[in-house]
Amino acid sequence: MNKFIAVLVLHCFISPAWAEEAKLEKIQVDTSVLAVERGVDTFMNACHGCHSLKYVHYRDLAGFGVNKDKISAWRGDSTLDAAMTSLMSDDAAMQSFGKIPPDLSMMTKAREGGNSYLYSYLIGYYLTPEGMTSNHVFPETKMPDALGMSGATDPAQRSEVQAKAHDIVSFLSWAADPHEAERLTLGYYVIGYLIILTLLLYNVMLAVWSKIK
Amino acid sequence: MANKIIQWIDRRFPLTSFVKHELTGYPTPRNLSYWWNFGFLAGIVLTLQVVTGIFLAMHYKPDASVAFDSIQHIMRDVNYGWLLRFMHSTGASAFFLVIYIHMARTLYYGSYRAPRELMWWTGQGLLLLLMATAFMGYLLPWGQMSFWGATVITNLFRATPFIGDQVVVWLRGDYAVGDDTLTRFFALHYLFPFLIIAGVVVHLVALHTVRSSNPSGIDLADKDNIPFHPYFTSKDFFGLGVFLIAYFTVVFFFPHSMIEAENNIPANPMVTPNHIVPEWYFLPFYAILRSVPNMVGGVAAMFLSVMIFAFMPFLDRSRIPGGARYRPVYRVLFFIFMLDILVLGYVGYYPPTSQTIAIGQVATFYYFGSFLLLPFISKAEDQWLFKKGLPPNIIALIESEAIEKRILPQRRRRGDIT
Repeated sequence: MNKFIAVLVLHCFISPAWAEEAKLEKIQVDTSVLAVERGVDTFMNACHGCHSLKYVHYRDLAGFGVNKDKISAWRGDSTLDAAMTSLMSDDAAMQSFGKIPPDLSMMTKAREGGNSYLYSYLIGYYLTPEGMTSNHVFPETKMPDALGMSGATDPAQRSEVQAKAHDIVSFLSWAADPHEAERLTLGYYVIGYLIILTLLLYNVMLAVWSKIK
Repeated sequence: MANKIIQWIDRRFPLTSFVKHELTGYPTPRNLSYWWNFGFLAGIVLTLQVVTGIFLAMHYKPDASVAFDSIQHIMRDVNYGWLLRFMHSTGASAFFLVIYIHMARTLYYGSYRAPRELMWWTGQGLLLLLMATAFMGYLLPWGQMSFWGATVITNLFRATPFIGDQVVVWLRGDYAVGDDTLTRFFALHYLFPFLIIAGVVVHLVALHTVRSSNPSGIDLADKDNIPFHPYFTSKDFFGLGVFLIAYFTVVFFFPHSMIEAENNIPANPMVTPNHIVPEWYFLPFYAILRSVPNMVGGVAAMFLSVMIFAFMPFLDRSRIPGGARYRPVYRVLFFIFMLDILVLGYVGYYPPTSQTIAIGQVATFYYFGSFLLLPFISKAEDQWLFKKGLPPNIIALIESEAIEKRILPQRRRRGDIT
């Protein structure tokens, strides 16, 4: 029995082999409108050519408070009600990459590690000794190094790419959970209300029970 | 006016006497601890799930081609749709948590023993219905984990003797999990909660026949019973407040912790996820399934691991009242059993390695062993305790309650009490 417990305790400290993946860089997402706005900008230039965002509509951006003129510039001929589908057809994508680039609406929620995963992935590109680009986080990726991390050599350039990756994550994090800010605000009110209510109920209970002590 | 209406109703329906008998006058042991709050909480969570579920069903589309999209529609476009969905997805976990605590309390205090066997068995039936409902509901978002979880679990029915393959096709409505599976799971996911409600009614009728157990394990005489209302309504509502704080903290601040990342990817029959895991509440049973090398044996062990609780009234041979409270050996067994379930849950979560398989097998062995040895252990403990002598306070309690019960009919005849 003791041996069994010992094995068990030891086991808790050994992280299983399958979890040994590239270390993710933990990030704090900037959820401000400005960061999201910069993020959409970068996203439209670097990602939207191939990746769709089918659950997000241009009107959602307007609703969040993104600059209206910018939205009109991005959406071009599409209506404000249109989903932010990609510019590339599925056939063209199959030709270029051998697969259809995944929709990014839920990307920050669809991977273990979420925002940190996405950020680490975007800045995870590097040049192999053979001169090929590869990725620390997702070596099998078919996506080219859209932000140019692997080619960025001097620190200023690298931090510029990192800043862009940060903004993209801010935007996609909002895209995956557009009601997050509302949810958190409402949450504080609900929990505050419940704490007061529960304290009152506690006193009611004490008052009721005092009769029979 | 109100009185007249009530009189009118009372002549046609036993409203006042029902309320008096089952609520305002319903005698409840005064020594119930907070562990007795969880039955009420389970009822509340059931209500929450039914109400949020009905509103979700107004916006959800049970069609494999649009089910995932309709969830996103609920999350993004429906007014407070995100709140409904997070309450429902968190509510599923809350339901199991509350029910597991409710069961653990019953096991700890021996509340399953005579005369409450039917309560325990109706509860067991409700647990099975709850598991089936949760399992079918998990398919509805039509994400990767929904699809592959349903595929793996329905596939287990291949272990049915002789007609295994037919049973699997019958469950799925197709050779593989697909649109037909989704539509039938949706229909049943809407039906089963109402079966649960019917089961709860039976559970409550049985409860009001045998009355609540209590931490002393002795059926207390009238002097130690107090009316359910206002004493336990006030206590239950306070407990509800605490529960809601915890529940809404998850709903508002950590709702995504209840949704696997993999399930935010639409179901794709061509791509198997690296790691198919059931929800946390199925993990111990899943670990037992995987601990048996043979598939049929594994499935049998898994079903038995859920159903074996039903045998507790027969397996526990002790005559000592109060469950684990006055039974040191049983208490130790209880806590090791709880630990064992946590170990199984841990093993069930991780992909099998030689190490986790070994731990899982030991834990599975212990799981069944503790049930199978219980008759002998409880009998031996019973004899040991009676030989050693029960603690004086419990002897005093048993005696005073016996006297109380003897004089009760006399006092009733004299008209001291009604």
